[in-house]
Amino acid sequence: MADSDNDSGGAHNAGKGSEMSPREQDRFLPIANVSRIMKKALPANAKISKDAKETVQECVSEFISFITGEASDKCQREKRKTINGDDLLWAMTTLGFEDYVEPLKGYLQRFREMEGEKTVAARDKDAPPPTNATNSAYESPSYAAAPGGIMMHQGHVYGSAGFHQVAGGAIKGGPVYPGPGSNAGRPR
Amino acid sequence: MDKSEQTQQQQQQQQHVMGVAAGASQMAYSSHYPTASMVASGTPAVTAPSPTQAPAAFSSSAHQLAYQQAQHFHHQQQQHQQQQLQMFWSNQMQEIEQTIDFKNHSLPLARIKKIMKADEDVRMISAEAPVIFAKACEMFILELTLRSWIHTEENKRRTLQKNDIAAAISRNDVFDFLVDIIPRDELKEEGLGITKATIPLVGSPADMPYYYVPPQHPVVGPPGMIMGKPIGAEQATLYSTQQPRPPVAFMPWPHTQPLQQQPPQHQQTDS
Repeated sequence: MADSDNDSGGAHNAGKGSEMSPREQDRFLPIANVSRIMKKALPANAKISKDAKETVQECVSEFISFITGEASDKCQREKRKTINGDDLLWAMTTLGFEDYVEPLKGYLQRFREMEGEKTVAARDKDAPPPTNATNSAYESPSYAAAPGGIMMHQGHVYGSAGFHQVAGGAIKGGPVYPGPGSNAGRPR
Repeated sequence: MDKSEQTQQQQQQQQHVMGVAAGASQMAYSSHYPTASMVASGTPAVTAPSPTQAPAAFSSSAHQLAYQQAQHFHHQQQQHQQQQLQMFWSNQMQEIEQTIDFKNHSLPLARIKKIMKADEDVRMISAEAPVIFAKACEMFILELTLRSWIHTEENKRRTLQKNDIAAAISRNDVFDFLVDIIPRDELKEEGLGITKATIPLVGSPADMPYYYVPPQHPVVGPPGMIMGKPIGAEQATLYSTQQPRPPVAFMPWPHTQPLQQQPPQHQQTDS
C-alpha cells in the first residue's frame, strides 16, 4: 500500500509538453474535487483512504490522456488542428466508454446553445465559430468550435490569470446563478 | 491482456475450489440456500437455475458441482452489477438534464486543459473540450468508485482502499488502459477476489439502490463472505492479513442464521 505514487503510466502521462514542463501536482486534478465526487458514489458512512484518492487522481489523468490521444489522432487524420467536443465523444465511443456519450451529447448541445448567445459578443481568433444558436441537432458539424469567452469566464471564476492557449473576446458580465443540479465544486 | 490474466486467475481459483473437494461444494450450497434441510438434502442441485447448462442431479463429481456453482455465482454477480449500473446511468441522465450552469464545474477546466496539452501531439483545443471532459471525468470517477466499492463490501470493510480500485480495474476490460497505474501485487491480490466476488453477492438484495440516502443505511453484508475463507490457504492468509477475526463468525442477518454453525467448523478445520 505504501507505493501510492507509482507512476509507470502510459506515454501520454509522461508529462512531455513541448511548451512547458508540468509540475507534479499539475498532472492531476485536485484531490479535493476528486474526493468530493467519489463520495457521491458511496454510502454516507463510507470512508476513502488517502492512497485510494491518489490512485483515482492518477486514473482520471490517464483517462483524459487516453481519450485525448485518440481524438488527436482522429484530428490529424482529418487534417484538422483543433480538438472539439465531437472528437472527444467519438473517441469515448471507440475506446469503450459509449455509456458516457449519450448524456454528454445533451450536455454539449446545451453548452453550445448557451455559447450561441455569446457569439455576438465574443470571438475566438483560433477558430471563428458558426452560430451555435441555430444548431439544435445532436450530430452537429465536427468542425464547430465555441468562442473563448467561456474559457475566460472560467479562468476568472477559478482565479486563473487566463488561458494562454485561447485569446478570447470581451468577458460578458452576466450574473452567475447556480442552477438546480449544478455541482459547485471549487479547486483548493 | 488483462482478460487473459483474469481468465488464468479464474482458472486457478476454480482449481483451488475443486481441490477442496466435497466440503467446499457443501459450503457453496449453504451460501446459496439458507435452509439447513436443503443444504443437507442436496436438492438445490436440481432447482438451481443455471446460466449456461442444467446442473446434473445428485452428481457425484465435486469438480462438476464446484464449476456449476462458480458459473451461477458469476451470473448472479453480473445481473446484480447490471442493475446497479442501470440506476447509475439513469441518475446521470437526470442530473445532466438539470444542468443549466456551465460555469461551476466540479473539476477545474484549466487543469483539464493542461493534462490534455501534456501530449505534444495535441495542438489546439476548443473551448468546449474541457467542459465535456469535466462532466466525463465526473462520470468516470463515479463509475470507478462504485465498482471499487463493490470490492470493499465483499471484504466487509467501510474504507475504500487502493486494492479495491485495483480490483475494479482488473475486472472490467474498459479499464485496461489503467493497468500500468496499479502495481503488480495489487493485481495479483485481486486475482484472489474473483472467487470472493462470485460467492457473497448471492445474499445481497438484488434491488439495492445505487445512491445511498443519509437516513437509509442498508447494511449489505454478504453472508457468503464466510464461504470464501475455506477455499485455499492463500486466501486464508489474505483474510488473516486484512481482517483478523475471532474464529466464531457473527452474522446478524436473520436469513443467514442457519449458516451459523457451518463456518466455524470449517474455519477450525482450515486453521
